[in-house]
Amino acid sequence: MNQAAIRILAVDDEPAIRRALRAPLLELGFQFNEASRGEEALQLLHSGAYDVVLLDINMPGIGGIETLRRIRAFAPRLPVLMLTVRDGEEEKVEALELGADDYVTKPFSTRELIARIRTAVRRVHAPARAEDAPIEIGEIRLIPSKRSVTKRLLPVHLTRKEFDILYCLMSRAGRVISYAKLLTAVWGADCREEVEYLRTFVRQLRKKIEDDPSKPVYLLTDVYVGYRFADAQMLQSNGDEAALVSNETDQVPGNAS
Amino acid sequence: MSGAYIPLRSAFGERRLRAAGAKTLLFSTECALGIVSVLVVGFLTHWLQWLLPVAALLYLLIIVPVALWCGFWQATVVSLSAVGVQSYFTTRMASTNPAADPANPIELFAFILTALVISRLSARVTEHGRSSDSWGGQMQDLYEFTRRTLQMNLHVEPGLQLAELVHEIFALEAVVIFDADLHEIYQAGYWNVDPQELAQNVYYFESSDDDAETGIARRVLRLGNVPIGSLVIRGDTSPLTNNAMASLIAVTFDRYRAFANESRIETERQTEQLRATVLDSLAHEYKTPLTAIRAASTGLSEMGKLSPGQADLVSLISEQTDLLNELTTKLLTTARLDADEVIVHAVPINVASLIDEVVASMSERLAAMKVEIDVPDDELVLCCDRRLMTMLLNQYIDNACKYAIYGTAITLRAVQSKREVVFSVHSFGPVIPIADRERIFDRYYRSSNSSNRAPGTGIGLSVAKRAATIHNGYVWVASDQDEGNTFYAAIPAQTQKRES
Repeated sequence: MNQAAIRILAVDDEPAIRRALRAPLLELGFQFNEASRGEEALQLLHSGAYDVVLLDINMPGIGGIETLRRIRAFAPRLPVLMLTVRDGEEEKVEALELGADDYVTKPFSTRELIARIRTAVRRVHAPARAEDAPIEIGEIRLIPSKRSVTKRLLPVHLTRKEFDILYCLMSRAGRVISYAKLLTAVWGADCREEVEYLRTFVRQLRKKIEDDPSKPVYLLTDVYVGYRFADAQMLQSNGDEAALVSNETDQVPGNAS
Repeated sequence: MSGAYIPLRSAFGERRLRAAGAKTLLFSTECALGIVSVLVVGFLTHWLQWLLPVAALLYLLIIVPVALWCGFWQATVVSLSAVGVQSYFTTRMASTNPAADPANPIELFAFILTALVISRLSARVTEHGRSSDSWGGQMQDLYEFTRRTLQMNLHVEPGLQLAELVHEIFALEAVVIFDADLHEIYQAGYWNVDPQELAQNVYYFESSDDDAETGIARRVLRLGNVPIGSLVIRGDTSPLTNNAMASLIAVTFDRYRAFANESRIETERQTEQLRATVLDSLAHEYKTPLTAIRAASTGLSEMGKLSPGQADLVSLISEQTDLLNELTTKLLTTARLDADEVIVHAVPINVASLIDEVVASMSERLAAMKVEIDVPDDELVLCCDRRLMTMLLNQYIDNACKYAIYGTAITLRAVQSKREVVFSVHSFGPVIPIADRERIFDRYYRSSNSSNRAPGTGIGLSVAKRAATIHNGYVWVASDQDEGNTFYAAIPAQTQKRES
């Protein structure tokens, strides 16, 4: 995928945020266009082609959620990333339910945003994966046809439900899967409210696949929204950051007190 | 106390004399009128001989109304005068008519006895009627007083209103009320002595009495057994009425205080809510510039081409933006918790998974820390609000991260104890002085030991405390040089769903 080909439409009513995004994204080879309202964004999307939309949730006018609904009506596969605030969990879940690909929480770093943009775009352009093709992420390998999971080539024993959860998350690696979606996929629509149930299973799953369940690297929590399985890119950047943190702490021991 | 009586006696002596004079005059007039009537009847029976057999009845016709309207003693005087008049005319008639008995002692005796008995009975009936009228009137006054005190405007101090009401309704000469709480005197009517001293003496010496001579009644105003002031009145009321009056005044003062207290609490609540709203909107307003700064600074780093010095400065901007963002988030959290209504969504939650999730969600913050989780009962379930409990644990863990000695572990525990689930976060760090152990949970309070060591706002632990108290739970900290610091939160296992 040629990076220069990624055409971004940033929709946010705050000019300062659009301005802060414009220069770095242009500099990094993206095509960048902007809109201050949902209505304006819809017009631009009808008149031109874009690869990804950054859509602020809280905007005057029709707002981000309604804009997303209208976008999905004519462009069901166009990657849309929601820009949200930390305490807007209900909106995040609603956006995900309406088909948003992902969200970034303000204030976000440009690096994080670019990573999410690339993941979303790559997903759309990636060839469709066969249902039962093995999935390998990091040291975890899942073979759907055999319902088997291995970690560092050693088999991991999972219960049926644990396997279903893991498969659901790994097959959409990098994407956040809302509690309701995950519950529906594994237990059926009747259980979409049983988040506590899900949490207990995820806890067990983490014990089996994570090196340190208290610091998970694969099975990540999006607080009050859902879970996501890290994709290769996330694993790599997590590794980089961990290395960075350990370097910093090595330099200034005792500073943490 | 006796000092108060001396001026009173001299001041009210004249008034008493005046009243006594008026009474004597009235008594004399009534007697004189009765005697004149007796004389008229005497003459009539003397001239009209046929009236003689009913003379005694005619005298009774005078004596009974006198007894009814004027009183027993007036009737007695009139009876004696009737005996005298009758004896006189009988004597005169005996000189012309020898058949007439000059002094029939039996008739005379029977007449006097009848007259006196009738007088006594009539006077008693009259007195009873009068006292009933007077009592009925006082009851009516008390009723009116009660009604008016209930309708009283409690937005202002009620003392003056009460004094004026008592003065007006009970038609008193003078009233003084002393409010010991405010040390204020309220008076109505004319006092020719210092009412302040009068009322204060009653309060300080707790002397309640009714002085019939001076017409002054003193009452200590009490709420239960506690004296709260005094009432002194001058006028014509019964002791029972005075007691009732004092009780009503005390109750009104109490109502006023309760009302004032309620208003104060309401004002404080409104102020707090306003503060929370302002904080909330400010924190929201900060988010946009923060987002722009963070996007711009991280964008600069991503663009590269920076000299090492420039890169360092850019990363400094990013770090400080993160700090500012953290602070804003904390302010927002507090504002939410302080806002009028925190709706608690209490659901059964697996404690082990709650702790795991909290720790997992803080993995970035905990990256350089050793974390140990100790939940002996994997199946332990607590009915609580996940969001609030997450907030509480976040704050405890965040606090531990700030102060823990590098290389030591942070230990999270949750155990069932009697009817509570006790969460604890243990770490090794500077000892918290005993004096600070409660106050660190107060908002904006920072331990004297910590103010120069770690970044913080003094908000976090107050959020934890609030989250616990909303669940009817409580928080505390144990701190020891060797044992380290442990922050606890005990949450009742059967948390009732409630709004705060």
